[in-house]
Amino acid sequence: MTLDYQNLAYAVAQIVHNFGAVAVVGGAVCALAWREAVVQRRLAWLVLAGWLVQAASGATFGAISYYYYAKFPDIHGIAVAALAVKVVCAALGATLAAGQLFAHASGVARRYFWLALCGLGVLALSSAAVLRWFS
Amino acid sequence: MRNLSMLLFIFASIAAPLAAAAEAKIEISSPEDGAKLDAMEQNKLDYNVTLGSGADHIHVYVDGKEAALLRQMKGSFTMETLSPGKHEICIKLVNKNHTPIGVERCIKVEAQ
Repeated sequence: MTLDYQNLAYAVAQIVHNFGAVAVVGGAVCALAWREAVVQRRLAWLVLAGWLVQAASGATFGAISYYYYAKFPDIHGIAVAALAVKVVCAALGATLAAGQLFAHASGVARRYFWLALCGLGVLALSSAAVLRWFS
Repeated sequence: MRNLSMLLFIFASIAAPLAAAAEAKIEISSPEDGAKLDAMEQNKLDYNVTLGSGADHIHVYVDGKEAALLRQMKGSFTMETLSPGKHEICIKLVNKNHTPIGVERCIKVEAQ
Protein backbone atom coordinates (compact mmCIF):
# COMPACT_ATOMS: atom_id res chain seq x y z
CA MET A 1 0.00 0.00 0.00
CA THR A 2 1.43 3.37 -1.00
CA LEU A 3 0.78 6.53 0.96
CA ASP A 4 -1.24 9.05 -1.02
CA TYR A 5 0.49 12.33 -0.20
CA GLN A 6 -2.22 14.36 -1.91
CA ASN A 7 -4.97 12.96 0.31
CA LEU A 8 -2.67 13.26 3.31
CA ALA A 9 -2.19 16.96 2.53
CA TYR A 10 -5.96 17.49 2.23
CA ALA A 11 -6.50 15.58 5.49
CA VAL A 12 -3.95 17.69 7.39
CA ALA A 13 -5.56 20.88 6.05
CA GLN A 14 -8.97 19.52 7.11
CA ILE A 15 -7.72 18.73 10.63
CA VAL A 16 -6.35 22.25 11.05
CA HIS A 17 -9.55 23.72 9.57
CA ASN A 18 -11.71 21.70 11.98
CA PHE A 19 -9.75 22.84 15.03
CA GLY A 20 -10.02 26.42 13.77
CA ALA A 21 -13.79 25.96 13.68
CA VAL A 22 -13.78 24.69 17.26
CA ALA A 23 -11.74 27.72 18.35
CA VAL A 24 -13.96 30.36 16.72
CA VAL A 25 -17.26 28.97 17.99
CA GLY A 26 -16.07 27.49 21.28
CA GLY A 27 -14.03 30.56 22.17
CA ALA A 28 -16.92 32.94 21.55
CA VAL A 29 -19.41 30.77 23.48
CA CYS A 30 -17.02 30.46 26.43
CA ALA A 31 -16.49 34.23 26.44
CA LEU A 32 -20.24 34.74 26.82
CA ALA A 33 -20.17 32.51 29.90
CA TRP A 34 -16.92 33.68 31.56
CA ARG A 35 -16.91 37.44 32.09
CA GLU A 36 -13.49 37.89 33.77
CA ALA A 37 -11.32 40.33 31.81
CA VAL A 38 -8.23 38.11 31.82
CA VAL A 39 -10.16 35.09 30.56
CA GLN A 40 -11.93 37.16 27.92
CA ARG A 41 -8.62 38.50 26.65
CA ARG A 42 -7.21 34.99 26.30
CA LEU A 43 -10.35 33.87 24.55
CA ALA A 44 -10.12 36.85 22.18
CA TRP A 45 -6.59 35.72 21.23
CA LEU A 46 -7.89 32.17 20.75
CA VAL A 47 -10.76 33.33 18.54
CA LEU A 48 -8.49 35.64 16.51
CA ALA A 49 -6.04 32.78 15.99
CA GLY A 50 -8.96 30.52 15.10
CA TRP A 51 -10.22 32.83 12.35
CA LEU A 52 -6.72 33.28 10.94
CA VAL A 53 -6.23 29.51 10.96
CA GLN A 54 -9.60 29.09 9.25
CA ALA A 55 -8.59 31.50 6.48
CA ALA A 56 -5.14 30.00 6.01
CA SER A 57 -6.28 26.35 6.05
CA GLY A 58 -9.21 27.15 3.76
CA ALA A 59 -6.83 28.70 1.25
CA THR A 60 -4.57 25.66 1.64
CA PHE A 61 -7.27 23.41 0.15
CA GLY A 62 -7.09 25.46 -3.04
CA ALA A 63 -3.29 25.60 -2.88
CA ILE A 64 -3.01 21.80 -2.65
CA SER A 65 -5.23 21.43 -5.73
CA TYR A 66 -3.14 23.98 -7.58
CA TYR A 67 0.11 22.27 -6.55
CA TYR A 68 -1.01 18.90 -7.90
CA TYR A 69 -3.09 19.88 -10.95
CA ALA A 70 -2.37 23.60 -11.62
CA LYS A 71 -6.11 24.14 -11.19
CA PHE A 72 -8.38 25.28 -8.41
CA PRO A 73 -11.42 23.28 -7.29
CA ASP A 74 -14.28 23.58 -9.75
CA ILE A 75 -17.33 24.69 -7.79
CA HIS A 76 -20.42 26.54 -8.97
CA GLY A 77 -23.66 28.16 -7.85
CA ILE A 78 -24.68 27.61 -4.24
CA ALA A 79 -21.24 26.24 -3.37
CA VAL A 80 -19.56 29.47 -4.53
CA ALA A 81 -22.06 31.52 -2.48
CA ALA A 82 -21.37 29.36 0.60
CA LEU A 83 -17.61 29.80 0.12
CA ALA A 84 -18.08 33.57 -0.21
CA VAL A 85 -20.05 33.61 3.07
CA LYS A 86 -17.21 31.71 4.77
CA VAL A 87 -14.61 34.17 3.48
CA VAL A 88 -16.66 37.17 4.65
CA CYS A 89 -17.20 35.51 8.06
CA ALA A 90 -13.44 34.94 8.43
CA ALA A 91 -12.65 38.56 7.53
CA LEU A 92 -15.29 39.97 9.89
CA GLY A 93 -14.47 37.46 12.62
CA ALA A 94 -10.77 38.29 12.60
CA THR A 95 -11.58 42.02 12.62
CA LEU A 96 -14.01 41.73 15.53
CA ALA A 97 -11.65 39.49 17.51
CA ALA A 98 -8.85 42.02 16.97
CA GLY A 99 -11.31 44.72 18.06
CA GLN A 100 -11.91 42.81 21.30
CA LEU A 101 -8.18 42.85 21.93
CA PHE A 102 -7.20 46.35 20.90
CA ALA A 103 -10.33 48.55 21.07
CA HIS A 104 -11.31 49.74 24.52
CA ALA A 105 -14.99 48.89 24.32
CA SER A 106 -17.43 49.07 27.23
CA GLY A 107 -18.72 45.93 28.93
CA VAL A 108 -22.01 46.01 27.03
CA ALA A 109 -20.28 46.60 23.69
CA ARG A 110 -17.89 43.74 24.38
CA ARG A 111 -20.83 41.43 24.99
CA TYR A 112 -22.34 42.43 21.63
CA PHE A 113 -18.94 41.81 20.02
CA TRP A 114 -18.92 38.29 21.47
CA LEU A 115 -22.50 37.66 20.35
CA ALA A 116 -21.56 38.79 16.83
CA LEU A 117 -18.47 36.55 16.88
CA CYS A 118 -20.61 33.65 18.03
CA GLY A 119 -23.08 34.31 15.20
CA LEU A 120 -20.27 34.55 12.62
CA GLY A 121 -18.86 31.23 13.82
CA VAL A 122 -22.22 29.49 13.56
CA LEU A 123 -22.82 31.03 10.11
CA ALA A 124 -19.38 29.95 8.85
CA LEU A 125 -19.87 26.38 10.10
CA SER A 126 -23.32 26.22 8.52
CA SER A 127 -21.91 27.51 5.23
CA ALA A 128 -19.21 24.84 5.41
CA ALA A 129 -21.91 22.17 5.43
CA VAL A 130 -23.62 23.80 2.43
CA LEU A 131 -20.28 24.05 0.61
CA ARG A 132 -19.55 20.39 1.35
CA TRP A 133 -22.85 19.05 0.03
CA PHE A 134 -23.58 21.48 -2.81
CA SER A 135 -20.22 21.15 -4.54
CA MET B 1 20.78 -11.78 -10.63
CA ARG B 2 19.50 -10.90 -7.18
CA ASN B 3 20.26 -7.23 -7.80
CA LEU B 4 18.42 -7.41 -11.09
CA SER B 5 15.35 -8.88 -9.35
CA MET B 6 15.49 -6.12 -6.76
CA LEU B 7 15.77 -3.51 -9.52
CA LEU B 8 12.76 -4.99 -11.34
CA PHE B 9 10.77 -5.01 -8.09
CA ILE B 10 11.56 -1.34 -7.43
CA PHE B 11 10.70 -0.42 -11.01
CA ALA B 12 7.40 -2.30 -10.77
CA SER B 13 6.56 -0.52 -7.50
CA ILE B 14 7.20 2.87 -9.09
CA ALA B 15 5.44 1.98 -12.33
CA ALA B 16 2.30 0.58 -10.66
CA PRO B 17 0.76 3.97 -9.70
CA LEU B 18 1.57 5.29 -13.18
CA ALA B 19 -0.18 2.33 -14.75
CA ALA B 20 -3.19 2.87 -12.50
CA ALA B 21 -3.32 6.54 -13.51
CA ALA B 22 -3.24 5.53 -17.16
CA GLU B 23 -6.37 3.44 -16.68
CA ALA B 24 -8.57 6.52 -16.33
CA LYS B 25 -10.99 6.53 -19.24
CA ILE B 26 -14.15 8.34 -20.32
CA GLU B 27 -16.50 7.06 -22.99
CA ILE B 28 -19.52 8.98 -24.25
CA SER B 29 -21.65 6.54 -26.20
CA SER B 30 -24.52 8.92 -26.86
CA PRO B 31 -24.86 11.44 -28.33
CA GLU B 32 -22.07 10.87 -30.82
CA ASP B 33 -19.55 13.57 -31.53
CA GLY B 34 -21.04 15.86 -34.17
CA ALA B 35 -24.59 14.59 -33.60
CA LYS B 36 -27.59 16.77 -34.41
CA LEU B 37 -30.04 16.93 -31.50
CA ASP B 38 -33.63 18.08 -31.18
CA ALA B 39 -33.62 21.48 -29.47
CA MET B 40 -37.15 20.87 -28.18
CA GLU B 41 -36.24 17.61 -26.42
CA GLN B 42 -34.31 16.81 -23.28
CA ASN B 43 -31.38 14.76 -24.50
CA LYS B 44 -29.63 12.00 -22.65
CA LEU B 45 -25.90 11.70 -22.18
CA ASP B 46 -24.84 8.05 -21.95
CA TYR B 47 -21.41 7.58 -20.47
CA ASN B 48 -19.03 5.00 -19.09
CA VAL B 49 -16.14 6.12 -16.92
CA THR B 50 -13.15 4.41 -15.37
CA LEU B 51 -11.78 6.67 -12.64
CA GLY B 52 -8.19 5.49 -12.36
CA SER B 53 -5.85 6.91 -9.74
CA GLY B 54 -6.63 10.24 -8.10
CA ALA B 55 -10.15 10.69 -9.44
CA ASP B 56 -13.19 10.49 -7.19
CA HIS B 57 -16.21 11.44 -9.32
CA ILE B 58 -17.12 13.27 -12.51
CA HIS B 59 -18.41 16.71 -13.48
CA VAL B 60 -20.51 17.23 -16.61
CA TYR B 61 -20.23 20.55 -18.43
CA VAL B 62 -22.38 22.05 -21.16
CA ASP B 63 -20.66 24.95 -22.92
CA GLY B 64 -18.19 25.25 -20.04
CA LYS B 65 -20.86 25.48 -17.35
CA GLU B 66 -21.14 22.70 -14.80
CA ALA B 67 -24.39 20.83 -15.45
CA ALA B 68 -24.02 17.94 -13.02
CA LEU B 69 -21.87 16.17 -10.49
CA LEU B 70 -22.15 12.41 -10.93
CA ARG B 71 -20.85 9.60 -8.79
CA GLN B 72 -22.18 6.74 -10.88
CA MET B 73 -19.45 5.54 -13.19
CA LYS B 74 -21.79 4.24 -15.84
CA GLY B 75 -25.16 5.63 -16.65
CA SER B 76 -27.31 8.18 -18.32
CA PHE B 77 -27.71 11.86 -17.51
CA THR B 78 -30.68 13.85 -18.80
CA MET B 79 -29.54 17.29 -19.93
CA GLU B 80 -31.60 20.45 -19.97
CA THR B 81 -32.97 21.36 -23.38
CA LEU B 82 -30.28 22.95 -25.53
CA SER B 83 -30.83 26.21 -27.35
CA PRO B 84 -30.55 25.94 -31.16
CA GLY B 85 -26.94 26.07 -32.27
CA LYS B 86 -23.63 24.39 -31.56
CA HIS B 87 -22.76 23.18 -28.08
CA GLU B 88 -19.88 21.46 -26.36
CA ILE B 89 -20.53 18.74 -23.78
CA CYS B 90 -17.65 17.62 -21.58
CA ILE B 91 -17.10 15.08 -18.85
CA LYS B 92 -14.15 15.69 -16.55
CA LEU B 93 -12.68 13.46 -13.88
CA VAL B 94 -12.23 15.37 -10.61
CA ASN B 95 -10.63 14.51 -7.29
CA LYS B 96 -12.27 14.58 -3.83
CA ASN B 97 -11.77 18.34 -3.67
CA HIS B 98 -13.58 18.83 -7.02
CA THR B 99 -10.37 19.66 -8.86
CA PRO B 100 -10.19 18.46 -12.49
CA ILE B 101 -7.28 16.02 -12.68
CA GLY B 102 -6.69 16.56 -16.39
CA VAL B 103 -8.67 13.65 -17.84
CA GLU B 104 -11.66 14.77 -19.88
CA ARG B 105 -13.74 13.86 -22.90
CA CYS B 106 -15.63 16.45 -24.90
CA ILE B 107 -18.06 16.17 -27.80
CA LYS B 108 -19.62 18.78 -30.01
CA VAL B 109 -23.29 18.61 -30.88
CA GLU B 110 -25.71 20.82 -32.75
CA ALA B 111 -29.25 21.42 -31.50
CA GLN B 112 -31.83 22.12 -34.20
